[in-house]
Formats: sequence, C-alpha cells, structure tokens
Amino acid sequence: MPIILENVSFSYSKKTPLETSALRNINLRIEKGEFVGILGEKGAGKSTLLKLFNGLLNPETGTVRVDGLNTSSREAKRRIGMVFQQAADQLFCRTVYDEIAFGPLNFGYSRKEAEERVLEALEAVYLDQTMLHRNPFSLSGGEMQRVALASALALRPDYLVLDEPITGLDPVGKKEILETLKKVKDEGTAVIAVTHNLKGFFPLLEKIVLIREGKIACQGTKEDYLKTGCVPLPPITSLMRELKERGLPVNPAVFTVEDALQEILRVRSVIEKESTSNTGK
Amino acid sequence: MIRLEKVSYSYPDGTPALENINLAIKKGEFVAIIGKNGSGKSTLALHLNGLLKPQKGKVIIRGMDTRDISKLPGIRKLVGIVFQNPETQFVGRTVEEDLAFGPENLCLPPVEIRKCVDMALAETGFEKYRYRSPKTLSGGQGQFVALAGILAMRPECLVFDEVTSMLDPDSGTDVLERIRKLQRKGKTVVYITHNLEELHAADRIIVMDKGRIVLEGDPESVFADPSLQSLGLTLPSLIELAARLKTCGVAIPWEKTSSPHSFAEEICQLFLKT
Repeated sequence: MPIILENVSFSYSKKTPLETSALRNINLRIEKGEFVGILGEKGAGKSTLLKLFNGLLNPETGTVRVDGLNTSSREAKRRIGMVFQQAADQLFCRTVYDEIAFGPLNFGYSRKEAEERVLEALEAVYLDQTMLHRNPFSLSGGEMQRVALASALALRPDYLVLDEPITGLDPVGKKEILETLKKVKDEGTAVIAVTHNLKGFFPLLEKIVLIREGKIACQGTKEDYLKTGCVPLPPITSLMRELKERGLPVNPAVFTVEDALQEILRVRSVIEKESTSNTGK
Repeated sequence: MIRLEKVSYSYPDGTPALENINLAIKKGEFVAIIGKNGSGKSTLALHLNGLLKPQKGKVIIRGMDTRDISKLPGIRKLVGIVFQNPETQFVGRTVEEDLAFGPENLCLPPVEIRKCVDMALAETGFEKYRYRSPKTLSGGQGQFVALAGILAMRPECLVFDEVTSMLDPDSGTDVLERIRKLQRKGKTVVYITHNLEELHAADRIIVMDKGRIVLEGDPESVFADPSLQSLGLTLPSLIELAARLKTCGVAIPWEKTSSPHSFAEEICQLFLKT
C-alpha cells in the first residue's frame, strides 16, 4: 500500500491579504521501499508537501492517504517518520536517550522494547552509547541531525520523510547518513527526501519529483528525468549531458565519478579506433 | 584587515575549539575555511567580530582589539556575519523591518536606513517579499533575507557560515555570484562551507582540523594535497574526475575544471581534434 495524493492544493494564510498558494493540483504516488528525491528551487513548495504526508498540514482540496488511512489517524502518523530541516526544532528532551525513546513510549511500547529500539536506532546513525546521557542541545549540528534521524527510525516507520537530511554534515558524516538511508530503504522502508545535495543523493535515488512554483514539473525515474532536460543535475551528470550535446557518443545517465571516468575512457578508445581505421583507408 | 595572533579558545565545558591560530586576511581577499564538523570553523567565525573573545592571543580588526569593549561597535560595523540557520537572526515582523534593524542599530538617520534597506532588497532580488513576515519564508528564502540583513549594514568584511546549505544549486550559485561581485567591489569575504564544489573562485583555502589550521593555500594546491582525504574531506566531483583522468593520460587544465561547461569543452577539444 502506498502514499497517495490526489488533486492536492494548499495555501498559507487563507482568506487574508497575505494568502500565498504553495501547492496546486498535486498527484503523487509513493510505494513502500522506494527512494524518492524531491527537488526544486527555494520556495517551490517542497517542505509544504512533506508536511502534508503526516498530517501536520491538511490539504485545502484533494486527499492524502497513507496506506488507505487518513493522515490524522494515529496509525498513519506511526507509519511516517519525519525529520525536519532544522534538527534542533524537533528536539525537546533532556537526554539523547529520552529523545529517541519518546516516540516508542508515546506509541505505548514497553520500556524494554523502547530501549531496544533506542540502541538499534543509535547504531544505525553511527552514534555511540556514551551519547545517550548527553543533553541534545549540547551536541554539534551534525550530531543533532543524527539524533533527530534516530528518533524517527526508533518508530520503525514504513515511510521515512526527510527535509534536507545531510545539510551541515561534513563529507564523512554525509556518507554515513546516506549509507544508513540506503540500508533503511533496502529493509523495505520508503525514503522520501527533499534535497539539494545532488552529488550525494543522485546515485541512490530511484524516483525524482521536481516541484516548480507549487506544481509537479516532472515525476519519474532518474532516466526519465534526464530525458526531460530538466535541471538541476549533479555536476558529473551535467558534464556527461553536455558531452553528449557536443556530439561525443557518451551515455549521459552517469551519476558517479567512477562511472564517468569509465565512460569517458571508453569513448576515447572508440574515437581512437575510428581515426586509425579512417587513416587505414 | 583581520589578524589573529596565537588565538586559543575552549568552550566552558573544557572542549578545546581553537588552538594557536595565526591568520592574516587582507582587504579584498576571498578566504574559504573548510574542515570536518567540530573542527572549529564556526568558533573561528565568531571571533571575527568579537562575539567570542580569545582566551589566549588576540584578534585585531583594522587595528582594533576585539577584547576592548569600547571598540566593539566599530568592529561590528566593519565585520558582518551571516549564520547557517537564518531563523537565529530574524528580529523584525516583516522582511523590511528585519533589514532596517541593523542600520538603525548603527544610528543611521531614517533616510539612510531606507536607502540601505532598498539597496539590500535590490541586491538580493527580494523586493516582492518586503512586507512578508520572515517566519513565513522557506528555509532557502530565509537564507537570502539573512544575507540581505547583513548587506543592509554595508560592512567591509562579510563572514558567511554555510549560507548555501539550504539552497537549491541554482540559488546557491546565485548567492556565490553575488558574493563574488561584492568581493570585486573591494569587500573582504570569509566563507565557511562543507560544499567544496563552491571553492573554485576562492583566493585562498584554509583547512581546519581539531582547532588547528592544517593546510593553507590556493584552491589548486589544496585540492592536489593528498592529506585532504585523511582529513575527512572529499574533492569536488569535477576536480576528482580531472585528477583521475590525468592518471589515464587525459590532462584537463585547472581553470577548465570550474564548471561542467568548460570541462566538456576541453574534453571535446582533446578528443575530437585528432
């Protein structure tokens, strides 16, 4: 069962002079186990869309269903784990332990079960157990980000919804969190991430939703997205697309440095072969 | 313009954040600071306008010591900091009020304040958001307004702490271009980032680790340094690709690695002329 949005529209400050339309006529379907990237410029409506998934905002028109459930139901909220852009906004407990255990306890799991989940989630985000007794607000930005992610994972959600999960992390931290997300995804949870970090995310994404001025401008697989000529693209992919446009016979669907290297070297040998056979004639 | 002499700083819980930092930044220079989480980058930034004071050593901003309280208003006028999380620096009910706060605090006359606000809105292309509440803006728009708020104070030196982290690639490039334009007009820029892709245009890169400066130089030499990986930093993908192509006999000159466009141009020239 998927998350389904049908004809969803949303405006802020409805019926005031400040009314701003954030989303218009959104139709979207997200299956379990998918890795979905939501792209778009600042103010396009990405974060608003995420808040519709778990009922933090309700659509003005249209419907949002999580596995057929209404988003305001308790069960729907358990199935969706959410991590916000500013991790500090969602931390409120006095220790990291309480923070991560809050969700499971709130949903009525036993203390023992909650503890198990805390340890499991902590390990998944690459934090060690000495952290458990620290005050979340004494942590660095990157550590807070991980604690926020752990508290979402502790609910073992079916859908993990993330708003810019790796901003503020250094390259090693980014890699670790991306590995965590990939693992979570491989275990069958859908990962839905708003991101601007195309270099890190692109190789992992299976589906891309591009939002432009509150509407879906493109929705489909990475390959579909490349074909539309939409931007943004990671630098490596832009390079390959440009090479193709300039007439080199490369495959533009390349997302990592390693693959780009192989592709460029392959094309070089093709060109060399052609030129030697031409001179042979 | 800015001089740090043997600066050390530890946070109250005893964590050392800066150890014996010596650094001189010239007027009009574009200096980038990179390093892992917790390497001391932001602590260093907070020293540049006296928000933190060194426990050992001193920080001199155009002849003024940040430990001298009477000099602080002068220092803050010279050096503006834009923080990572824009919400931490919003004070006004509307974008306009927010932008006016800084110049008003500098005791400028109302006519001047209006000019400053108009200029900052024009420079960031944010006129249409003048009467919006900063709290209703998206994360990326907020970063733009925070940037405008500092521009309105017309500082001579701008310190940016991960200001493009919440911006889409296009807006990020846009902000960088605006920053470069300011630098060409003679402003000094200190730019803290995790996104090494942005550093091609810096005059100098400073790499920090565990509160110390461990590497320093122009982008080309810093990116070529083999110790970068062990410091937990990864190369921009185009520069990594260029380095690996070089070992396979395809040499891409440094200037051409700044954008996919120039990189592609170079490869086509190499491959298609034969």
